Amino acid sequence: MRVCGVTRPGGRRGTGWSRVLVRVAGLVLLLTAAAPRVHAQSMDDAIFMDRRVLCAGLFYTREQWSDYWEGTLKRDNGNIGTLTTTQASWMGAYGVTDRINILASLPYVWTKASQGVLAGQQGAQDLSLGIKVRAFSTPLTTHGTLHGIAVLSATAPTSDYTVDFFPLSIGSASRRATARGLLSFQGRNGVYVNGSASYTRRGNVTLDRVAYFTNNQLFLTNEVQMPDVSDYALTLGYQRTGLVVPIVFTRQTTRGGADIRRQDMPFVSNRMNFTRVDGRVQYVIPKLKAVTVHVGASHVLRGRNVGQSTTVMGGLLLAGKL
Amino acid sequence: MRRASILPRVMLGARAASLTLMAALSLSCDKSITQTETLTPLEAVSTDASAGRWRMIVLTSPTQVPVPAPSAITSPAYVAELAAIKAAQETITPVQRERVAYWSGGGVLRWNQILRGLVARYNLPPAPRADGSYVFPDVNNPFGDPAFPFANPPYAARAYSYVAVAQYEALKAAWAYKYQYNRPAPARSDTGIRRLMPISDLPSYPSEDAVISGVTVAMLQALFPAAVEEITRRGADQREAALLAGKASSSDVAAGLALGRAVATLVLARASADGTGAAIGTPALWAALADSARARGETPWRSLETPVRPPMLPNFGRVQSWNLTATDVVAIRPPAPFPTASAQMLTEVAEVKRTVNGLTRAQRAIAEKWNDGAGTYTPPGHWNDIAAEYIRDARFSEVRAARAFALLNMAMHDASVACWEAKYTYFNPRPSQLDPSIRTDIGLPNFPAYPSGHSTFSAAAADVLGSLFPSAASQFTAMADEAGMSRLYGGIHYLNDIKEGKAHGLRVAAFTRRFAESDSAR
Repeated sequence: MRVCGVTRPGGRRGTGWSRVLVRVAGLVLLLTAAAPRVHAQSMDDAIFMDRRVLCAGLFYTREQWSDYWEGTLKRDNGNIGTLTTTQASWMGAYGVTDRINILASLPYVWTKASQGVLAGQQGAQDLSLGIKVRAFSTPLTTHGTLHGIAVLSATAPTSDYTVDFFPLSIGSASRRATARGLLSFQGRNGVYVNGSASYTRRGNVTLDRVAYFTNNQLFLTNEVQMPDVSDYALTLGYQRTGLVVPIVFTRQTTRGGADIRRQDMPFVSNRMNFTRVDGRVQYVIPKLKAVTVHVGASHVLRGRNVGQSTTVMGGLLLAGKL
Repeated sequence: MRRASILPRVMLGARAASLTLMAALSLSCDKSITQTETLTPLEAVSTDASAGRWRMIVLTSPTQVPVPAPSAITSPAYVAELAAIKAAQETITPVQRERVAYWSGGGVLRWNQILRGLVARYNLPPAPRADGSYVFPDVNNPFGDPAFPFANPPYAARAYSYVAVAQYEALKAAWAYKYQYNRPAPARSDTGIRRLMPISDLPSYPSEDAVISGVTVAMLQALFPAAVEEITRRGADQREAALLAGKASSSDVAAGLALGRAVATLVLARASADGTGAAIGTPALWAALADSARARGETPWRSLETPVRPPMLPNFGRVQSWNLTATDVVAIRPPAPFPTASAQMLTEVAEVKRTVNGLTRAQRAIAEKWNDGAGTYTPPGHWNDIAAEYIRDARFSEVRAARAFALLNMAMHDASVACWEAKYTYFNPRPSQLDPSIRTDIGLPNFPAYPSGHSTFSAAAADVLGSLFPSAASQFTAMADEAGMSRLYGGIHYLNDIKEGKAHGLRVAAFTRRFAESDSAR
């Protein structure tokens, strides 16, 4: 069972005309590089493209918050109002083999505050490249199969956006390398459970000023040490031919960094933690088997130095065999 | 066939993997950052033996505070002090060695860094309460919410100047007694004492390190009372370092500490009566400022914050200056800005809008470089940052370093007073008030626009630094001009604010330069 336009392992993939359409459209999408967010078919799920299958598409996400945590204090801010972050993301995945996929994504991001005078920002954000390997698959009892998956990815900014204007900066501009391990139990009845954990090493970033204050200390340099980030995620999902419905709990922890001080602006190296619940539906259009529609929504339940955001997402992915 | 076609694909996967790995490895394992402005052990080019005769600012004479004669170096008491230093050096710990190294770069420079950190720590505006009101910081409740102080630019300019002036006064007094009593440093009297810092032939009674610690700790405790614990600890570390280094004996330290504290008391007496207490003003005053602008046919400034925040320190223009009288402040005030309804003003507003809408990355970098907004060491702190490296590289004696910081910071405090006087005389709106479609690239200061504080501070600072370091004068001017223009790029000032602010800053600096030309230190 694959969602990205692929019906069954070893089964026929789409009708003749849709296969042609998908090959062309998939390539065009790959080459036009518009924008994505890594949610759907992604670095943190158990979905694989079959060998020679290319899957690419566009995602739109809109994230909004009015309340945020200043350290651990939840508050609103009349000079921000509601902060909206919109992303249009291009993403692609390719099956090098049935067990090895390569993934890429690039978002274009817009930010906007509904109140106050601060200017919204926009720009191409960070390019991510990853390789995803299914290390083993083993039947577990008569009820299903356990998969072990490893993902290694690297991310780097593609434009010289500012990181000194949070919460309106479009990203942290930190070069990052992530290692993720994922165990997935896929039940024969369609229910599946994933558990994953990742560790992200983050490179330092530079500001356009010669001094800054964080961690209760004045730093006389333009270089900011970026704490690493780890997360773990638990997914409970249901899948059948052409449909995947996961619910994901994610907990991200920043391993260092300072709290936002009282009435201060956020800073790029803040300790940004959150617990988020995320529901998605990934659906293959029956008459257009190469096309997968993604819709989803997520909400931050608890956090520290982040907004209590609600995100809605929609995407369209096309898959085809090259 | 199948195997043959799989191989290149596996290789593609391997290439992707190696690319990813390379990117990962390029994040080198060492994330430690190197701070600039490192201080090296101070070996002053001159001891400035005549500094005890340099012109005083607050004290009536360098010997206004008496310092009793020390015991002779042959006295049993002093010999015992030397023995105690040797014993302490025998048992010195790695932590103590670090402290000696930390303080060996010069107390004036080190305390200036510490002060910049304190300003950045306390430079946060009060948060609004649930009912939309604001509580002002309370000196009697410094640990509260809001903390005391809110070290905004005028507060910071004043704090930098009071600390620098107090250090300068105390060191001139110390120099007078040093050359009156001529007691050599312990490591010079006794070859059994190791020199853990450079030790010149500057007489050691009273100890300059103890004088600096005594005067600075007392000043900072008054200015940043919530940081009392850290300030006190650092002062004690500095005195211990001088002792352990073989630079001062316990009686040198005791006399220096007492002198420093006594000078601070005199300087704080001036500070407590300089008008800062009334700088916040009252709701009636805030309303009167707007009424007065309306009466002149002008659109008055208003706060664009939500909830509306009272203007920042509207009476700061009445605070006592260092080198200007209240009459001088009014006499050098910039001419009135363009009327808010005038064609010139429309042109100015349009220029701001055109600039922010077409902002280049390089212009944004300049706006952020000089932003120096909330949570930073402020524009006066930025100029102390710039000055510190020149002062370090010039290898000034402690008393000459204190003079440099005193001149710089007197000029910036005076610029702050004069600028605030002008801002609240004209009460001129910010660009985003006259054209709400103007979005700013940095935080919008909560006080009137005209003239630009950055431009005034920076022009005054650059002018004084240029007189201290003539070979770098043109660089300082270029920096000041860039600081001024950064406010246009940020979308928070009109070009005329910047132009008039610069001219105003130069007029202010002339008063400090006149003082410097006649202080016998040149």
